[in-house]
This record gives sequence, C-alpha cells and structure tokens, in this order.
Amino acid sequence: MKRIFIIGALASLLIGANAQAAEKLKVVTSIQDFASLTKEVGGDRVDVMSIAKGYQDPHFVEPKPSYLLLLRNADLLEVVGLELEIGWLPPLLDQSRNNRIRPGQPGYLDLSNGVTILDKPSNVNRSMGDVHPLGNPHYWLDPVNAVRIAIQIQQKLSQLRPADAPYFAQRLNDFKIRINEANKRWLATMAPFRGAKVVTYHNSWPNFAKYFGLDVVGYVEPKPGVPPSPSHTFDLIQMMKANKVKAILMEPYFDAKTPQSIAERTDSTLVVMYPSVGGAKSGTDDYISLFDLNLSNLVKALRK
Amino acid sequence: MAIGHRLLCIPILITLTAFPAFAQQAPPADPKIDQLEKKLDELLRQAAEIRQQLDSMKGAQPETVPDLTKIDVPAAATAATSTETPAKETPPPALTDVQTVENVSNPGASKVFNPDISVIGNFFGKAGQRNSIEYGEERPAMQLEEAEVAFEAFVDPYAKAKFFLAAGPNGLEVEEGYANFVALPKDFTAKVGKMKATFGKANTWHTHVRPWVDQPLVIHNFFGDEQLADNGISVSRDIANPFNVFIEATGEVFSGSAGGIFERVSDNDLFYNGHLKLFRELNENQNVELGTSYARGTLGNAGSSSYGGIDVTYRWKPLQQGLYRGFIGRFEAMVNDNPLATNNLKGFYASGDYQLGQRWFAGARIDAADRLTDGATAKDRGLSATLTFWPSEFSQLRGQLRRTKYGSLDKPVNELLFQLQFAIGAHGAHTF
Repeated sequence: MKRIFIIGALASLLIGANAQAAEKLKVVTSIQDFASLTKEVGGDRVDVMSIAKGYQDPHFVEPKPSYLLLLRNADLLEVVGLELEIGWLPPLLDQSRNNRIRPGQPGYLDLSNGVTILDKPSNVNRSMGDVHPLGNPHYWLDPVNAVRIAIQIQQKLSQLRPADAPYFAQRLNDFKIRINEANKRWLATMAPFRGAKVVTYHNSWPNFAKYFGLDVVGYVEPKPGVPPSPSHTFDLIQMMKANKVKAILMEPYFDAKTPQSIAERTDSTLVVMYPSVGGAKSGTDDYISLFDLNLSNLVKALRK
Repeated sequence: MAIGHRLLCIPILITLTAFPAFAQQAPPADPKIDQLEKKLDELLRQAAEIRQQLDSMKGAQPETVPDLTKIDVPAAATAATSTETPAKETPPPALTDVQTVENVSNPGASKVFNPDISVIGNFFGKAGQRNSIEYGEERPAMQLEEAEVAFEAFVDPYAKAKFFLAAGPNGLEVEEGYANFVALPKDFTAKVGKMKATFGKANTWHTHVRPWVDQPLVIHNFFGDEQLADNGISVSRDIANPFNVFIEATGEVFSGSAGGIFERVSDNDLFYNGHLKLFRELNENQNVELGTSYARGTLGNAGSSSYGGIDVTYRWKPLQQGLYRGFIGRFEAMVNDNPLATNNLKGFYASGDYQLGQRWFAGARIDAADRLTDGATAKDRGLSATLTFWPSEFSQLRGQLRRTKYGSLDKPVNELLFQLQFAIGAHGAHTF
C-alpha cells in the first residue's frame, strides 16, 4: 500500500513537472547572444537553445540534421537576419517540418528589423569579398541594440503567450536597469580611449567600435572572408606603424598566427575579443559579462 | 593636471601670437630672445597637440551617456507584433473636399518574386593515358563540361520550386526540376517532378558538391554519368525516437525509365526506391550518418532489376577551428541483382578528405566495381588522390590523380584530372 502511494506521488510529480515543462515556450536562436537575451526576458517561462555556439563562426555553421530535432518542436525561431545565416538556415528550415517558424509566420523573429544597422553598401559585388549586401550583421555588439533586441523578444514572447506578458515586461524592465548600470561602467572604462585606433581581423566590430568611440583603421583580412595575404599584411604593418595602432581585435575562431606576427612587428597587442555569449570557456555566460570581459581585455591592451 | 596647465597656456599663446610684429622687431642676436622663441615654438607645438586632442574628443564623445532604460525600437519593427489597440482614427473629411491621392508606383516591385538564379561553371581537363572506357576516343583535353543553371523560389505557402538545368557540349537538359512541398501535415515532406533518386549519398550529389572531379567507379558503372534519376514522386518523414537520433525514411516511385538502369516495357513498370537515414552526433565535433537504400524496377524484357546499398559518413569538425580543420570519411557499397548478369554485381568506394587549411583540402579514394560489358562482368579497381583549393566560397580548383585498372583492359590507366568550378548568383545551400 505504501509502495503504491509512493509510486502514485512520484507519478503525479512527474506529470506535474511535464505539464509545467509543456507550458514553456520552446525558443531556438541562431546565436547564443539571442539565447541569453531571451533567457533574460523569458525567465523560467521559456526553454531556449542556440544553434551556433559562441565560440563558432556564425557564418559557417554546418546544417546538421541534429538541429532539425530542435527546430521541429520550436515555437519561436530568432535569427540575426541580413543573410548571416544564408549558408545554413534555409535548408534546415526546409526540412524542419515546422510551419510555425517559417519567415512570415508568428514564430519567426528577424531581430535585425528593430536595430541600428551599419555598413549598408550602396553598391556591392563579389569582387569586394564576402560583403553582406543588406548591411553588417554583427549588430548585437552594441548595448543599445541589445536593449532593442530584448524589447523585440519581449514583444514577441508576449504575443505568443499573452497571459505571461506582464511577467516578460517586468523581466525586460529588470534587464534594462541592470544593463543601464553596466553601460555607465563600460562607458566610463572606455572614456580615456575614445578615438583610439585599432585593427580588427574581420569587419565584425563596427557597432562596438562606433559605440565606444574606437577608430577601426584596417582589417587583417584583405577583403571580407579572404585570408590574409603577404602583400596586404605588409601594407597593414606600415599603416599600423604610421597610425600607432595599439590593438588588433580578433575572434577566438580565427587563426592567431598572422595577427600575432603583425602585433609583434608593430608593437601592438593581439586581443582575443569574444563576439558572442559563450565565446570563452568562462566569463561570458551572459550578455553583460561578455562585455565586462571584452572591455577588460581591450583596456589592458590600450593602456600599454 | 597637465592638461589644465596646458589649457592655461592657450590664452597666453593666443595673446603672443596676436602680436607677431612685436616678436619680429626684437633684436635677433639676443640669447634671451632666442630662448623665448624656442619656448614659444615649444608652447605652440603643445597647443597644436591639445587642439588635436580636443578635436578628437569632441568628435568621438557622445553628447550624453545614453539611458538604456529609455531605448525603444523603431515603430516599423514592432508593427507586426504590436498588441496595442490602434489609435483612434481621425474623422473622414467631407466628401466635397476629397482630392486625388498620388501613389507613386514602383515598376520594379514585382521583381522581388523573381527566383534565386545561379550559374555554376564546371571546366574540366584531362591529361595522361587515353581512357576509352570512361571518356571514349574523342574526348578533348579540356572543355567547359557543364554549366548548371539553377532557379529556386517559393511557389506558394506550401511548396518551393527548384530547377537545375545542365547545359553542356551535348545540349541542354533538365537535370532536376521539382516542387518541394515543405509544409505537409503529419511531418511529411514531398518532392514531385524530375529528380535524382535518394539512393545512397553520391547518387544525390550535383557536380559541384562532389569531393572528386569524377564519379566513383561504382556510380559510373551502375548508374552512369547521369546518375539514377527519373520523373516521379518522393515522400519523406522523420521518425521521432527517444535516442536523440535523427531518423528519416524516404519512399519514392518513378516512371520507370532511367537511362538503361531501369527500362519500362508497359506503362505500369514503375521503379521504386526506399532510403532510411540515421544521423547522430557523437559530440559537438563529431557525427556519424548511416543510410540504407533499396531500388527495384523493370529492365526491359530481361526482367526485374534491383539495387541495394549502404552508406556510412563520419565527420569531424571542431567547432572553434572549423574554418581551418575538418575530416570526412565516406564509405558506400552497392549490390545489383541484374537479369543480364549471371552473378550479382558489386561495388564500393571508401574515401577520406582532410582540410589542411582555410582553403586547402586533400583526399584519397579507393574504388572497386563490377561492370557489365557485352554480357560478361569486368572487375574494375581504382585509386585516387585529390588536392583542392578554394580561392573563395564561390570558386574551387581541384586536381585528381587517378589510376584505374579496368577488368577488360590489360594495363592500368593513369590520368590527371583537373577542374575549375565557379559560381555566380544566389545558389541555395544544399542539404547536409
């Protein structure tokens, strides 16, 4: 009798837990930053998974069938847009067998719609390298855009779960207050270095640079997506010496060999900058800690 | 402090520089004047530096620290998702006051419905010994072997259309052209039209997706250069399971006329194909895919012919170094119960491709396949090594050294194949 009671209690617990889990919105994001911001807004009312990892180049994700298992049951898909995911998301969506998350459906959220986009080319062709014709897709690396992304997520979650709208609004407000405090700290940290000249490996940091007043004077890549060539590297070294560039910013997924060599020959410092939440093994667990770590590393290099 | 001191100097300098005549009238020989002039030069230099710093600070510093709690998104971004009640409309004007409205039409707006269009050129070259079995006697040393023209767009909310036209020295043909229904109920998807049969891996690849210049012997001997393709219907469904394995079952029926592989005698002589695919991630860097296929149909008056196959693909790609390193191992084996052969025909290939750097890949392949020739069975064997260079994502240069021992020839054939593939336009990404 006692056993039956225990089994019954466990079963009801499990059923209860399942029912609660079933109520959660299943959100899939293309990058981990959006997953982090969705957790900030959605709290315990959402289950969030990201396809690309923070330490992975989001341009080149393999469209593995295992991602179909995520997409098949998703209520919401959040994407960077601006053709960042064009090489891997369309075939996944075609095979996902989930009509709720297709473009144009309520479960599809292109977060580029409500943010500031830079580098929109007026004329583009592939002789210019792998240029994004709709503008630079690395817009999440700007705290103002992060808030705009969070607002769009809050609106979308509220649309899909109207009953939880006050909860999402409260959490968005909490996040805004926390990021606003962090932002004051970040701007104060970077204030002495406004106008500092830097070089980046790829053109991934225009929003970040503009926000913190950094002057990006060159790139390690001769053209977007093209590996560094000896002649370009030579020209870059001369330019960096002339401009007294102090730092080269590079994502962790690029090969450090050439930029490290450039740094040594120009008396500058190679700074590994994490472009996404989860980019480092520790210290990039959410959006705010990502900026804390990046700015701490960058300031160390600029002070030298 | 230092900047404050320098700032104090600026008015003094301005005052001094406002009276250049005074400075010019002083006797040049006086050492004190010399010293003063040097100091003045130094102060002017410092003033210029300060002005430069001030200018750069003015240009870079935001006017105020933004209050992130007050940030909002543009109205256009939220319009589709807003749940707020629309603002009360203004009352319409009296109809006696109505004027015409000027709508500027955009004549190019309908172009957004144009499909994604791409062209992929495949320039092929060959050196070494003559290969009459694969290429015949009159093959040029080099030629634009194929231009694949692809069109892709949504037809309606239910289907996408994909057309792949292959233009070559022998003319233009529809390589594939089908409607892909991606939004069917019960987790089904379907393709209707002309398409490659989902038999194994290599049979489904277009030329620019292959990791080699040529086809493996087993594909060439069993299915020919055109691969196993026909007009038909393909239906797929993934099978949910608790093992975190992606399982997809595909069933296909074709008209029964596939270039000597199947030849219908009556209208009801269709050919059927089934494929089961299992995919599992071993960890985030490694995954394995297993597939099994079976196709059966009529081969003219000779009777029915059937093909069975298995395919295994192992991939290693470390996520963080994925731009520079990776490995893919492939194995595919087939057997053909052919009414024209006394025994079952068998064949396989095994290959490995390693990524050496961001743009360099090296590979090797071992081949074996039976070949039906004038009622007899020849056993062909081959070895290949490839080196591939990607100038960019949109072009690819490849060389392949190949040694083939054909069962019907006395001596092996050694060849160097080379290929340049180049793509323009928007070509949709292919299935993994």
